[in-house]
Amino acid sequence: MPKFATEEWGKEYVEKLNSNSNYEDAGKNWEGAITFVIQKDESFNKDAYLYLDLYHGKCRDTKFSFTESELPHSEFKYIGPYANWRRLINKEIDPIQGLLTGKFKLQGSMIKIMRFTKAAKEMVSTAATVDTQF
Amino acid sequence: MWYFRSPEIVFGEDSLSFLSLLSIKRATIITDRNLLKTDIPERVRRALGEGVESLIVGDVSEEPPLSEMTAHLGRINEFSPDWFIAVGGGSAIDTTKILFFLYERPDLTVYDVTPLVQLGLRKKSRLIAIPSTSGTGSECTWAAVLSEENEKRKHELASREILPDYAILDPALVLSLPLEQTRNTATDAIGHAVEAYGSTWHNPFSDAMAEKALELILGNIESVIKDMKNPAFRNQVHIGASMAGLAFSNSQIGLVHALAHSLGARFKLPHGKTVGLFLPCVVDYNYDSCTERYDKLNRLFPDKYRVGRLSDSIRTILKAIGQAQTIKEAGIDEKEYFSNLDALVTLAGESTGMVTNPKDSSSADLRNLFIKAYRGT
Ligand SMILES: [Fe+2]
Repeated sequence: MPKFATEEWGKEYVEKLNSNSNYEDAGKNWEGAITFVIQKDESFNKDAYLYLDLYHGKCRDTKFSFTESELPHSEFKYIGPYANWRRLINKEIDPIQGLLTGKFKLQGSMIKIMRFTKAAKEMVSTAATVDTQF
Repeated sequence: MWYFRSPEIVFGEDSLSFLSLLSIKRATIITDRNLLKTDIPERVRRALGEGVESLIVGDVSEEPPLSEMTAHLGRINEFSPDWFIAVGGGSAIDTTKILFFLYERPDLTVYDVTPLVQLGLRKKSRLIAIPSTSGTGSECTWAAVLSEENEKRKHELASREILPDYAILDPALVLSLPLEQTRNTATDAIGHAVEAYGSTWHNPFSDAMAEKALELILGNIESVIKDMKNPAFRNQVHIGASMAGLAFSNSQIGLVHALAHSLGARFKLPHGKTVGLFLPCVVDYNYDSCTERYDKLNRLFPDKYRVGRLSDSIRTILKAIGQAQTIKEAGIDEKEYFSNLDALVTLAGESTGMVTNPKDSSSADLRNLFIKAYRGT
C-alpha cells in the first residue's frame, strides 16, 4: 500500500488515471500540466510536489519531488495542506467546494479549468481508488 | 463548511417604493429593449424620488454579447453612478452585474470574474436588481451568463461580489409579462428548484428554498396563465422564482442547465424553453441516483399534476402551461440539429453543471440525452 506524498503513490495514481476511461473522456480536450502541491502541516513535515503532464485525456509524464525547482513548469497548481489532501482523497471534501471554502488554492486560469470540472472530479475520484496509506 | 448567500430581499405590493428609502444620488438604470417600450423604466425612475439623477441604459438585447454590453461603459463612466439598478429579465440583470464589475474594476476583464479572485467591488457603487420576469432568479444569484459571439458558447461567470445588494420583487412589474415569457421563465424556475434539490451540493438552506419555490410556482402558474393580470397569483410565482434562484445559487445547477446552455448557444431559443425541453429527460436519467429526493419532490406536486414519477409530473405541468415537449416540436430543424450534435455534446460536457449533477455522465450519455430530447423517445 503506497504512502501518500511519495513517488510510489504518484506512480500508482498515474497508472490508475491512465486506465480511467471516464477521465479520458472528460479530459480529452485538455492540454496542460498541473502540479499537486501538498503543503506541510502538523501531520506531515515537508512540502511535496507531484507534477502531472496531462494531454488529451492521458497523463503523459509525471515527476514527484520534495523540491519544486526540480520539476518542470506547470500551467496549474492545486495547493493544500496535507490534512486537506487526506480529506479530499477520502472524499470528505469536494474538489471545487474545497477551492470555494479556502481548503485548497488554485494557481492558473480559473476560466480554463472551469470548462474541465468533470475532468477535475475524475482526477480526484481516481485518487480515491489508490489504496493509500497516510 | 458551506455558505448561504442572499441579497436583502424586498417583496410584495408596492415594494418598488423601497428605492426612495435608499440614499441614492446618481442611479444608472439598465433595462432591456422590450421593457423600454413600457412605462416600467419611468416608474423606477419616479420611485427613486425627487432630486435623484438617473441615466437609463435601455438597449440591452436578449443574451447580449460582451461587445454590446461594453458599448455603454463610456457613458456610464462619465455619469459616475453610486448605484446600478437592473430592471428586466435575466439578460438585463446579468448585463448590469457585468457593467457594475467593469465600472468598479476597469483594470480587470470579465474573465477575472471567478469565485477565487477577490475583486474588491463596491468602492464606488452598489447594485440593485428588479426582475420584470419570474424565473431566471438572477436577482438572487452570484452568477452571470455571458454569451460569446464568436465562440458560440456561454460563459458562466461567478463571484460572490456580483450578488446584488438588494432584490426588489414587486408583482406590479410582472403583470404585463407576455404569455410566452411567463411560461418560459416559470419553466426555468421549476428547473432551478429541481436541479438545486438534486445537486450533490444540496444543503438544508437550498432544500428549503427549492421546496417552497416549487410549492409556490406549481400551485399558481396555471392560474397566472389563465388570469395574467391577477397580482395575487403573479406575486406567488414571482416570490417562488426568486426562491428557486436562491436554491440553485447556493447549491448549483446540474445537467439540465449544462444541456440547455449548450443548445441555447447554438440555436436561438429562449433559455427557459430549453430548460423545459431537457428537464423531464434528465430527471428520468438521474432517477436511480436520486430516487428518494426526487420522490420527495414529486409529493410536492398538486394532485392534478402528480402522475407516476417526478419526470411524469413535470411533463404534465409543462404540458398544462403549453410548453413544447420535444426539441422537434419547438421548431428546430432536424438536419441542422443533428449536424451540430458533436458541438452540442462538447459544449455541454464543459459546463460546470456536469460536476454537481447527481449522476455522472459520459459524452455518450450526453449524446443520448440530446437525441432523446429531440424526438421525445
Ligand atoms: Fe436557468
